[in-house]
Amino acid sequence: MNPPDKPLLKPLSPQDWESLIEDFQQGGPRHHKWTAPDLLQSLIDQAFTSLLKKDFLLKLPLLLFLEEFSETFFTHETHLNRLLESLRSVIQSPLDGVTISYYLKEQFMVSTTSIFVTVNALEKFHARFIEGLVELLVLVINRPNHSMDRQTRAIACECLRELEKCWPCLLSNIGGHLWSLCQNERSHACQSYLLLFTSVVFNIVNTKLNVSILNTSVPLVPFNVPQWVLSGGDENGIGSKEVVVGLNYKELRRAMAFLLESPQLLTPSGMMEFLGMVMPMAVALELQASMLKVQFFWMIYSFDPLSCHAVLAMYSRFLDVFDGQEGEIFTRLLLISKETHHYLVFRLLALHWLLGLLSKLMFSGEVGKYKSIFELGLRFYPAVFDPLALKALKLDLLAFYSICLDRLKLESFSGEEVGIGKSAAKLFEDGLVSVSAFKWLPPWSTETAVAFRAFHKFLIGASSHSDNDPSTTRTLMDSTIFHTLQGMLVDMTLQFQRLVPVIVSYTDRLLGCQKHCWLGERLLQTVDELLLPNVKIDYKLSSYLPIFDRIAANSTIPPRGLLDLLDKFMVFLVEKHGPDTGLKSWSRGSKVLGICRTMLKHHHSSRLFLGLSRLLAFTCLYFPDLEVRDNARIYLRMLICIPGVKLRDLLNQGEQLLGISPSSHSSSFFNVHSPRQHYQNLKKSRNISAYIHIERTKPLLVKQTWSLSLLPLGDGSAKAGYLESIRDSDPLVDIRDLNDSENLLTAPETERICKSQEPLRVMDSKISEILEILRRHFSCIPDFRHMPGFKVRISCHLRFESEPFNHIWGDNSPTSQLDGVDGLPAIYATVLQFSSSAPYGPIPSYRIPCLLGEPPRNDGISGQSVSLDIVPIEDGASEEESFRAPVTIDLEPQEPTPGLVDVSIEANAENGQVIRGQLQSITVGIEDMFLKAIIPSDIAEDGIPAYYSQLFNALWEACGTPSNIGRETFQLKGQKGVAAISGTRSVKLLEVPADSLIRATEQYLAPFVVSVIGEPLVNMVKDGGIISNIIWKDFASDSFLESTTSVTGLERGPLHLTYGDDDESRSSINISKRNMGCFFVLIFLPPRFHLLLQMEVSDLSTLVRIRTDYWPCLAYVDDYLEGLFLA
Amino acid sequence: MPSSCSIRALWILNSLDAVVLSRKFPVVEKQWRAACKTMNDNSNNTEEDPLKHTVSPFLPNDAELSSAFAERKKREGSLRGYGIRVNNQSVKGSDSWVDDPITRHIISINVESKVEGGENHLLWPLILHLRGSYVILVLPLVEPVHLKAYAKLCRKSDCGNAVGVDASLSSILLDTPSITGAFMVAHAIGDIIVGDVVDPEVVVNAAPSVGGLLDSLTGSIGITGISSRAKPVAAPVASATPSGAASIGTLTADTPKLGSRPLDKDTLRNFISSAMPFGTPLDLNYSNIFAIKANGFSSSDLLPADFKQPAWKPYLFKGKQRILFTINETIHAALYDREEISDTISVSGQINCRAELEGLPDVSLPLPGLNKAHVEVLSFHPCAQVPEHGADKQAVMFSPPLGNFVLVHYQANCGLGPPIKGFYQLSMVSEDEGAFLFKLHLMEGYKAPLTMEFCTVTMPFPGRRVVSFDGTPSVGAVLTTEHSIEWKIIPIGRSLSGKSIEATFPGTVRFAPWQIQRLPFL
Repeated sequence: MNPPDKPLLKPLSPQDWESLIEDFQQGGPRHHKWTAPDLLQSLIDQAFTSLLKKDFLLKLPLLLFLEEFSETFFTHETHLNRLLESLRSVIQSPLDGVTISYYLKEQFMVSTTSIFVTVNALEKFHARFIEGLVELLVLVINRPNHSMDRQTRAIACECLRELEKCWPCLLSNIGGHLWSLCQNERSHACQSYLLLFTSVVFNIVNTKLNVSILNTSVPLVPFNVPQWVLSGGDENGIGSKEVVVGLNYKELRRAMAFLLESPQLLTPSGMMEFLGMVMPMAVALELQASMLKVQFFWMIYSFDPLSCHAVLAMYSRFLDVFDGQEGEIFTRLLLISKETHHYLVFRLLALHWLLGLLSKLMFSGEVGKYKSIFELGLRFYPAVFDPLALKALKLDLLAFYSICLDRLKLESFSGEEVGIGKSAAKLFEDGLVSVSAFKWLPPWSTETAVAFRAFHKFLIGASSHSDNDPSTTRTLMDSTIFHTLQGMLVDMTLQFQRLVPVIVSYTDRLLGCQKHCWLGERLLQTVDELLLPNVKIDYKLSSYLPIFDRIAANSTIPPRGLLDLLDKFMVFLVEKHGPDTGLKSWSRGSKVLGICRTMLKHHHSSRLFLGLSRLLAFTCLYFPDLEVRDNARIYLRMLICIPGVKLRDLLNQGEQLLGISPSSHSSSFFNVHSPRQHYQNLKKSRNISAYIHIERTKPLLVKQTWSLSLLPLGDGSAKAGYLESIRDSDPLVDIRDLNDSENLLTAPETERICKSQEPLRVMDSKISEILEILRRHFSCIPDFRHMPGFKVRISCHLRFESEPFNHIWGDNSPTSQLDGVDGLPAIYATVLQFSSSAPYGPIPSYRIPCLLGEPPRNDGISGQSVSLDIVPIEDGASEEESFRAPVTIDLEPQEPTPGLVDVSIEANAENGQVIRGQLQSITVGIEDMFLKAIIPSDIAEDGIPAYYSQLFNALWEACGTPSNIGRETFQLKGQKGVAAISGTRSVKLLEVPADSLIRATEQYLAPFVVSVIGEPLVNMVKDGGIISNIIWKDFASDSFLESTTSVTGLERGPLHLTYGDDDESRSSINISKRNMGCFFVLIFLPPRFHLLLQMEVSDLSTLVRIRTDYWPCLAYVDDYLEGLFLA
Repeated sequence: MPSSCSIRALWILNSLDAVVLSRKFPVVEKQWRAACKTMNDNSNNTEEDPLKHTVSPFLPNDAELSSAFAERKKREGSLRGYGIRVNNQSVKGSDSWVDDPITRHIISINVESKVEGGENHLLWPLILHLRGSYVILVLPLVEPVHLKAYAKLCRKSDCGNAVGVDASLSSILLDTPSITGAFMVAHAIGDIIVGDVVDPEVVVNAAPSVGGLLDSLTGSIGITGISSRAKPVAAPVASATPSGAASIGTLTADTPKLGSRPLDKDTLRNFISSAMPFGTPLDLNYSNIFAIKANGFSSSDLLPADFKQPAWKPYLFKGKQRILFTINETIHAALYDREEISDTISVSGQINCRAELEGLPDVSLPLPGLNKAHVEVLSFHPCAQVPEHGADKQAVMFSPPLGNFVLVHYQANCGLGPPIKGFYQLSMVSEDEGAFLFKLHLMEGYKAPLTMEFCTVTMPFPGRRVVSFDGTPSVGAVLTTEHSIEWKIIPIGRSLSGKSIEATFPGTVRFAPWQIQRLPFL
């Protein structure tokens, strides 16, 4: 491309100019390519040459172009000089009909004047430029009544007027000449002469300049810029000192009188200019304003809108002069609005003027003038053929009228006096008739919008939104119009369901307004009161759901009514559900849940709890649609688990971030995080076990510091279990089947024969009885390898400390400033995951929806410890309950060993951060494994103690000498696995007094006690009531002890040894002598083991005989017993 | 600054929102800047004004204006906009937020700030006038306080203005005659764009054109379309029917007619330069302006000896003297055919005049029986001198301008019943079939000299397409179009005079199957 200045050297063609002008006008980059200074210089050079060229056709557009962008081009004196010279040559050159026309001369004058004014020629450049221009123009106008150039003279007058407007009093020196020119001119140009002279006089009056406008001693040419214009210059008028300030009233009034003679000569536009200057002059010259009225008031009857407006301007300026004529003006304005030949906008304008005048009148506070308004009142009603826009404004007027009525009543004007027969409500009803089609038009129709607009105007009445407005919402609410409108609204809602969205957005509009939100609330309350009982429960009810949603969102409305209705609706949906209503049910159900959600967001949970939980529970139980059920379940859980403020925050936050209902997406939302944030969270999560605690609800008796771990033996099969005590029975199926039948039907001898592999053993009836009991027992024990085994439940609780939590997780949400519960941090959607190296099987994770942090304990040191002294411990614990979440760990032990369970946590903080980390491990003790033995289903309730007792005896036997039952195996439940018993025995002497032993037993072992033997012991225990439902035996009737002793006679060996070890045999005799009785304790150890305790209680010590079919437990049992009784 | 009707700028946009003609008036613009400066100087002392930046001392260039206008169109839903606050669609800061129907005519646009990240400027009041396929925007000069007041109105976060409060749109409009003036300008320009005159019809004889002085003047300058040709005197704005789809738009349809003639830029430029050389209108009568432009003045155009020639009458008539009047009346009637609701009948009419009189005579036209005729509205041409308490007088004195002009507009309640009475029923017998019945009395109570020249009844079905129709009227002929049925009871040329007739028309009409329309909510 060529450099841009190169092509400019050659002259621009008219086409080039055209596109250039367009570039400038378009602006932006198209303009910028021309703005280099040298480019502009060459452009203006070319422009001047073109303008003076004979055959250039674009002179007028070029002039307009220079005019529009004068500030860009005329930056230097030479430019102005050149412009002035060009103008002079154009004006002075004779007409040739082709290139020099009057029209060109006129435009040249206009553009030059415009450029001079725009570039501020008087301030920025030498005064001679202005003087030159004025001289040129004055010479043009100084030929009054010259026939040919009358239009040109008129334009020159306009140019001079613009100069005078820009530099007030510029022409004040030659005012006298102008006046005489004005008087002489008789062509149509006289309007311009008149206006020019008027503006000169106006500026003299305005700046209070003391010059004579009759004096023609100063010659027209040469023209000199007056001293006061040069020195003053600012708009405050003439600052120069040598000018005497003070008006020459006499002369000026004469001039005014002359001016006021000639309004008939002016066009409406000219009249507007003229009046704009005459009115302030009349004020300044202290003329009677009624003179103006006489001269100009007729214009109100013109159908030219501008003329009417001119009268209104006059009226609003001289209110008192028109006293008594308000009625005429108002009527006239009202009639203008009826004139169908006008453009609609003028009819609208007329009503606006009327409204403006009326409110001006009202603010002036003159009650008397209200009368004229009342006379109009009924004419405000919209007519049938009025366009909607006009109707809307007329309804405004009616609303205004109703306000006036109210004012009048306030000012104790008697109604009859002004003939007010109508209340505001009646006015409204009548007015609304004009747009009554809104009831059957679609809700988005303009007619509806107009109707509701009127509704609004009437409703808020005179209550404006400014703070100093005295009218309160209270007075509004008491007004009759409000009551009427409320009733109408409810009726409309009931009758025309399609209007519900409109009504909803209408209440939204009120609710969104600071001043009138009360009205919106009241409306909703009315709807709640009047609409809810009257709606029919059917599918159409769903069209009301939007307004129900607003009711739900309003905390001032008790939610009961709505909940009841929704309840019924849900029942209806469930009942009506059929094959073709699937989608309907889903959409209605979801919407109802949406309203529930809104309630959750805006109401206190306590207020909602009963009704809403019932509704949600019903929904999640019976609703046909799965998604709705699911969502209902989520809401229900939230309602139950999460405290109110937190819940509201949660729901609101979700909405803000997602912009959609997050009901079913909340989890996905919380999981999505940027990697960076995740990383930060990892860092933060490092030490969470310092302030997030998981603890056992009941501490272990023995702080287990070790655990015995046994490697699987030999075959390496981890599943092989313990000591091959259990194995698959498949290979033995035949035998076992046989076995079973023999067991049941034939003598034991045959059994022994069949079990050829097993060593021979003595089988008597007693043993077979034992075997039978054991078989029965084992058949109830599930085989954990094939089916869910026994569960061991460890209850714990989770809690966290607020302060360190806030510190680390930086919760600076506003809730942290709140007091009490609401101020505490919370974690949401907590998932605890457990793992253990001990053989506890898979441990299900545990979920906690929400947990509050514990309040800081700064007051606890003094206060809480004191209170603990007084208040029972249990109470203190329950007080803290709300900050502790119960956690249960379900273990399915494959071996009854103590161990550690590692806990990891994953939760969300309130601000959506993910908390992840390891908590303290949970210790599992041997006592956690203690279960009651399973009872076969065919044992009756009252047979249980006997069964337990029998089972104890059988097991006791079985765990005694192995020879008793030999290598007998027992089939487990499910008939796949078999188990054998290999018992072990042990004893433990506990040197504790009997009563403390009994107490400890009652406290910890009560459930496992199957029988108590010995009268003293029975007497001591039975009354306590803690141990119950067992077999009680006195010594006398007891044969068991003997039998056991006889059976277990060999046991005395170690016992004797123990006693033997004792130094004092007497004491042992003593003990034995004072034997009070025995506790028999049967403990089942999952998955299929047993621990049997026979506690022979004496006064000062107790001998515990222990038998088990799981020998490793003895190690723990020892510790346990010591912990239990000796601690 | 005395109040005047100056205009800062005007733009003419085509149907693609592109500026085809723009005109700015630097002299007025200078006044605006001075006013802005004064305002800013005064507000320096006070607290930071939140609306300070909305008032810009600069005008947008054409590209900025056109994009701002397009943006406004998008925001307001249509060319004119909603006008009143519409649920869920009006946004704060937009015109419809002000909740006044006049914002369909006086609009605001947001001009993007030239400074990066700066606040947008509000350009208000923009007079919006649609003519042909063009959009005319006129920006009158108001005071910055008015602009600020409007900005406050359209950005208030409350539920909408109460009536009669202090800073309402009404009081702004009352205080700004320049807005009214700008409308006059916009309408004048609109008339030039479509080449349509509002010169009323004054029938002299059978010849359609009168052929007077002014006609020869305007005809000779080659402005096609501008002539005093006959034109029915319909109201420029169609009255919205009280119900039905037609009333959904507040005015006539927003979509401009397509296929109008190209813009005559030179004519427009000349008009603007002559009518408002500095942006302040002096005379908006384009007949006069074009006559001066085309003919100029010659030495033969003598000046009146004793009187001053009014500005609105640049030429004096020479020739045979005569004065002509015609009267045009339109009757609007709503016929309910019910006892409890009375029919609404109103007559609106005008007296057209053409005064070919030499010199500057005052003409007095007696108007007897005005009081008797229940004339409600009476408004006059500016050339008429209406004495005080104007409506009561029995004559009007006027100094007639050149050419045809409307002397009086009037509106009255009809003394006589409507020329057509009767009822019409349409009931749908099935989804696509309707049975209708007309029973009309024509010219009931009208005596001999009154004649009904033609009579056509139109049944419009804007929402349905007529497939077929069945039925025979007792008189006249029937014509169907796609969306209407026209019943020509009395065709042109067979006028009815001196007697009344009864006409019945039972029939059925079949429509094309109902288009399934999207329901707004379900």
